[in-house]
Amino acid sequence: MVKPKIGIFGLTGCAGEQIMILNCEDQLIDILGAIDIRYFPTAMTKNDEECELDIAFVEGAVVQPKDEELLKKIRQRSKLLIAIGTCAVWGGLPAMRNDVPREEFLEKVYGTKGKSFKSIPAQPLKNFVKVDLSISGCPIEKEQFLKAVASLLHGDLPLLPSYAVCTECKMNEYVCMLVGENKLCLGPITIAGCGARCPGYNIPCHGCRGPVDEANVASEVKILKEKGFTLRDIENRLRSFAAQAEILQEQFKKE
Amino acid sequence: MLFYQNLRRDLVKTMQILKLDKKNLNEFIFSLNDFGEVHAPVKKGDKQFVFSKLTDFSKIKLEYTRTILPPKKYFHPPTDTLFKFSQEEGYQSLTEELRKKYVIFGLHPCDIYAIKILDLIFAGEFVDDRYFIRRKNVAIIGLDCIPDDKCFCRSMRADFVEDGFDLFLSDIGNSYLVRVGTGRGDDMVRKTQDLFKEVNKKDITEYKRRSDEKKNLFKVDIELSDLPEIMDLEYESKVWEEIGKECLSCGSCSMVCPTCYCYDVFDEINLDANHGVRKRQWDSCLFKDYALVAGGHNFRAERSLRVKNRFFHKQRGFVAQYGRPSCVGCGRCIEACPAKIDIIEVINRIRGAKL
Ligand code: SF4
Ligand code: SF4
Ligand code: SF4
Ligand code: SF4
Repeated sequence: MVKPKIGIFGLTGCAGEQIMILNCEDQLIDILGAIDIRYFPTAMTKNDEECELDIAFVEGAVVQPKDEELLKKIRQRSKLLIAIGTCAVWGGLPAMRNDVPREEFLEKVYGTKGKSFKSIPAQPLKNFVKVDLSISGCPIEKEQFLKAVASLLHGDLPLLPSYAVCTECKMNEYVCMLVGENKLCLGPITIAGCGARCPGYNIPCHGCRGPVDEANVASEVKILKEKGFTLRDIENRLRSFAAQAEILQEQFKKE
Repeated sequence: MLFYQNLRRDLVKTMQILKLDKKNLNEFIFSLNDFGEVHAPVKKGDKQFVFSKLTDFSKIKLEYTRTILPPKKYFHPPTDTLFKFSQEEGYQSLTEELRKKYVIFGLHPCDIYAIKILDLIFAGEFVDDRYFIRRKNVAIIGLDCIPDDKCFCRSMRADFVEDGFDLFLSDIGNSYLVRVGTGRGDDMVRKTQDLFKEVNKKDITEYKRRSDEKKNLFKVDIELSDLPEIMDLEYESKVWEEIGKECLSCGSCSMVCPTCYCYDVFDEINLDANHGVRKRQWDSCLFKDYALVAGGHNFRAERSLRVKNRFFHKQRGFVAQYGRPSCVGCGRCIEACPAKIDIIEVINRIRGAKL
């Protein structure tokens, strides 16, 4: 079997996904046996900038014009483009406050020198190119990455959960943070895959994996308001990881 | 003729009932370790309970209300690896862990009733071996209980069980009446014979008094007769639409329900794309892709249809198929639902004169 050619790219992000891939220590030998990594500057010195790729994994949000340029070039040279991490899938933390003009941020952080940077509102990859598969998470789950690689090698897209974090939370028989403890838990509207990691540590879900498909945001907001949370608290939490998600934008417009 | 004779013989067969002093309970439970790993209700968080391996007798919560997950987790676990496969070796079923022996202490009647309902389902057209092997290796010791404001097992006729347990303990003050339900239960009692006494007249009076008293402790009551008919009549009711707006499709109600049994089956392939495992995992009819079929059609694309389906399957569809609702009134879905969707309230609304 000819090994598929792979590239692993980072736009504007924390490199968390790339580190997570490197963290698959027990499987790295198997991974390298199965795929031919041509581009992964975080991990390798020799990288092929031009060759055609079977699969490109792309981390990070588009926050600068040069991110957009690189992304479009990746799309051109790759058969499959896979967004990895919540920044790439939803815009993530950098997109938390796209309502504030970039100039304000630049000045706050870099002073007058800020003017020399070109910054645009943070956006997910799908706003610029066709994305064939999304693996969200802040950072991604190792298991989901490995599952995706294995399925793709087999010629399938991986089967990732399409239900909410609550389902995994219940399967693990964790104490409910929302119902029992009256904490601001976003589990009911957040896509599963992390095994409800946070409720497992008695911390409510902050929604780091982004919204589940058809999330009932209005009902979640109503429940939280009834528990005494202010709209500001709720909106801030909703904005943390996936402020750009259409389904959340609808909610922000309503209020 | 022979059939009737057998039936009559069965009718006169009585169940053995003994008495166990509460001060001897500890010693009795300890002796159960010979029959399997003992699990019992223990506290989780401030207010919740779970069935879990008993490591310290003082941790057992005899007065627990309901556990987060029902005992179905022992027979039909959330995720179950069915078999391994590889190109060279073909299929290899994984049955080792099915043979582990457990004794689950402290199941309430509704939970035992629910297991009897699961038995019907898994013994259907295609008998589910994995379920029944586990079932055989798990001993069940029942314990009676005091209903809280979410219990409606009496309405669902699941507040008392005549079988489905190895032993069943009923509190009569300083001691328990212990009903022996199976040969294994008999072995358990024989093993610690000295701990058990004969039941006397006073015990019987006390048992009857408590049984009567329990009836009056139920705070909720729903009328079951002709409910299927009323549900059919109210199939288009706007109630379904209304609760569809509240429901988050979070799946909690199905996960915690002792009689929700749906599962999904999928393969996990290894990196060599040559071997892997087949798994099954709990599924829920509340999920948006539950009724999605190849070609993209979704039979229950709207949330309101999915919520309606859950109630209909519990209270209507199951009646048509098995002669009774599959709901046992344990109250778990009421406790778990973040949107406060309450099966008792929904039924009462549907039954109500004005909707
Ligand atoms: S803790 Fe959060 S994720 Fe878990 S069941 Fe409750 S609401 Fe859902
Ligand atoms: S529980 Fe929520 S915040 Fe925690 S890892 Fe999972 S999705 Fe992220
Ligand atoms: S439907 Fe609700 S009350 Fe009825 S058995 Fe299931 S969890 Fe218990
Ligand atoms: S627990 Fe409540 S919100 Fe969640 S799926 Fe069930 S009915 Fe809907």
